[in-house]
Amino acid sequence: MPTHVESLDNGLKVILRSIPDAKALSTWVTYRIGSRNEVPGMTGSTHWVEHMLFKGGGKLAKGDVDRLASRLGGKYNAFTDTDFTTYFETLPASAMDTALLIESERMRNAAFDPKEVEAERTVVISEREGAENQPEFLVEEELWGLAFHVHPYHWMPIGYKQDLARFQRDPLYQHYLRFYAPNNAFLVLVGGFDPAVAMHHIRESFAPLKPEAPPEPMRLEEPEQRGERRSDLRRPGAADLLSVGWHIPPFVHEDTPALILLSTILGGWRGFTPLAAGEWHSRSNRLYRALVETKLATEAVVRQEMKIDPALLIASVTLADGVSLDRVESVVDAEVERLRKTPPAKAEMARAKRQVRSWYRYEHDGVTNQGLLLSIMEAISSWDAAESVLAKIEKVRADDVREAARKYLAEDHRSVVRFHAQEVPR
Amino acid sequence: MSLPDRTVLDNGAVLVSQSLPSNPFISFRGSIPAGMAAEDGDYGVAEFVSRLLLSGTRRASAAKISDRLEGIGATLEFRNSEEALVFQGRCTRETVAETVRIFVACLSQPAFPPKEVERVRGELRNDFRLERDDTRHRAMRELARIVFPKDHPYGRDPKGDEARVRSIRRRDIVDFHAAHIGPEGLILAITGDVDRELVEEDVAGPLSRLRGNGEPPKPVSPPGVHRPRSVWIPMPHKSQADIVVGMQAVSRRADDYYPLHLANLLFGRIGMFGRLGRNLRDEQGLAYYAMSSLEARTTGGFWSISAGVNPANLEKAIRGIRSEMDRLRTETFSLEEIRDGKDNQVGSLIVSLERNAEVAAELHRMEYYGLGMDFLERYADIVRDLSEDRVRDVARKYFDPATCSMVVAGPVGRTRVAL
Repeated sequence: MPTHVESLDNGLKVILRSIPDAKALSTWVTYRIGSRNEVPGMTGSTHWVEHMLFKGGGKLAKGDVDRLASRLGGKYNAFTDTDFTTYFETLPASAMDTALLIESERMRNAAFDPKEVEAERTVVISEREGAENQPEFLVEEELWGLAFHVHPYHWMPIGYKQDLARFQRDPLYQHYLRFYAPNNAFLVLVGGFDPAVAMHHIRESFAPLKPEAPPEPMRLEEPEQRGERRSDLRRPGAADLLSVGWHIPPFVHEDTPALILLSTILGGWRGFTPLAAGEWHSRSNRLYRALVETKLATEAVVRQEMKIDPALLIASVTLADGVSLDRVESVVDAEVERLRKTPPAKAEMARAKRQVRSWYRYEHDGVTNQGLLLSIMEAISSWDAAESVLAKIEKVRADDVREAARKYLAEDHRSVVRFHAQEVPR
Repeated sequence: MSLPDRTVLDNGAVLVSQSLPSNPFISFRGSIPAGMAAEDGDYGVAEFVSRLLLSGTRRASAAKISDRLEGIGATLEFRNSEEALVFQGRCTRETVAETVRIFVACLSQPAFPPKEVERVRGELRNDFRLERDDTRHRAMRELARIVFPKDHPYGRDPKGDEARVRSIRRRDIVDFHAAHIGPEGLILAITGDVDRELVEEDVAGPLSRLRGNGEPPKPVSPPGVHRPRSVWIPMPHKSQADIVVGMQAVSRRADDYYPLHLANLLFGRIGMFGRLGRNLRDEQGLAYYAMSSLEARTTGGFWSISAGVNPANLEKAIRGIRSEMDRLRTETFSLEEIRDGKDNQVGSLIVSLERNAEVAAELHRMEYYGLGMDFLERYADIVRDLSEDRVRDVARKYFDPATCSMVVAGPVGRTRVAL
């Protein structure tokens, strides 16, 4: 798909994908700042900043972001990830200037009114408490904490409650000023527009914004894990859960294509982006066959975390009633061992490749999804990375998948969290 | 966008299609009147059927079906709902014929293998366990049960109850399928990389081979009278409590639907959750989410508010909800609020139909509720023609605390507050 890429003098990278017959336009501004850039004691600060950027500043009064986008029937939101923070508006194609106004004001002029910062404290804590209600969140937090001792992937983007309880306004504001600058951001525009006209409007809105000194490169590197790590959580809950995380290389690594096929064969593929598949789950994969079809589990999924830094490949299982964690873990082990020993069959490889190819098409459903895909890819690698990974996937051989399994799905490199559901108090 | 094509097949199935060739794949969505409303006392059986349709046909095992679908990169999902068995999927132009063939085989020749029936039984029992531990789910399930009493399909658990899940036999499943799943009342909406020839050959062809028992679908009965009350569900091990408030609203074809839809948008949806969100989240910082929803169906509707709050803030949050409902009487929606809401609804027509999947869902809704194939062309005028007073009147009439029930689930302690 024709895509125009250009950088402004202040360092803002612009990625334009014009779809002439599209009636909508999706605008994404992504900052290269996530929870990986936080320090202990300030966990969750990036996510809190994200909340504050809906509260006006500069030309926008409080409530204007909501009002401007809502009047146009727009979809808008933001996400804070470990590696990036992204903001988007999908509006009718005629409303490009509204999106650019919101995003250019957001980039340098957010108000951070102390009263508003304080009011948001309980909202952010409430978001965390809502997540805590789900045992799956507790398991996920435990798993990353277990697998990463040095690197900030140790904590979740929402942050620890004790940090959220004591943050002050000024450090948050400093965090914003330091990282929200055109040279630490990129803008993606997808939809019905003329690229030359769009560039003209983008320059008008963003060229006057001053860059900051480039952020320090990430210096923290997780040492190689030597020996399995385990944690057993005992909390009230409905079902036992098992989560196993193996260290994998960053997304840009040459083994990523083989790992994608490995993940697909083990637990199914749901696209490069987290939202594409909705509630659909693959059934044609090894863990589903070994655990769900055999009634040992009600759900078994595999997730390959594609990140800037080395991350995890995670297998998560919800156990059926009366089945022991030991039994399920031994089945997961057996399936992993099978992948380590024997290359997948030709038909299995072909099916996995087809799945990944098809999902890539489905991930282009609409301007919002395309904006999301381009933004995530640019944040962790480059906007066209998915396309080149797909091309490499076609060349992956069954032996490569076995080699990836041998190299990465090793017991010494894994962390295991077992959630033992305790009887719920009445 | 040109008007969609609508075809009634000889067997009664209705096919609605719209070409959107710039999207390089196909989405479809549809329904058959074989949901909870068709159960006739056999509560839970529609859920079993919906979960078993991909679990094997006379010619192919569950594994073979999923291998085939995923081997061609297609998706197919079935889901039970209050009124209908709903299905949806994705495929490409090259794989649509095969996908529709599999879909028709799953509908017309399911084998309901005993092993799969038992697998689904276990899955349902597990779902009961998981849902018992979910504050939001428990609150909303209980609210629906109170608002739509006497086991009405809008109010009961789609899974039935645990005793029903234990007692349903394969025979019940086979009988329900034979009685309710066929072309009668079937709607399939398809969009994306399609054209008339492809729809006729690869979709209408296989679909027209579906055979039913010729009986017209049973109409959905209207819900009984809702008697408002409050229920508190203690779940002391949780961090957050979920508050839900609700009442019966109007059906999709009711005269009050459009003004009520707009009133709901202004009350608890627009921007960061409308007036309700402004109060609870923005001004008081009590909740990450506080919103309202309107679900309008064939013979009735469900209006609800939901908010997740720290247990220490329960009382404040309930007072906040009450005050926003009361405010509809003392400080009605302003002209500016209503104008913004109308602009939102007209604008959202473009934004909410940017994806194939969304277009397929809208085409399905248009046919399901008999809105007409020109509905999208008329929609802006319907919204613009709404009088401001009508919007204010329906808000006062329906969003009335005295006619609402409330359920709170979570670490509620000794707190007991009336709405």
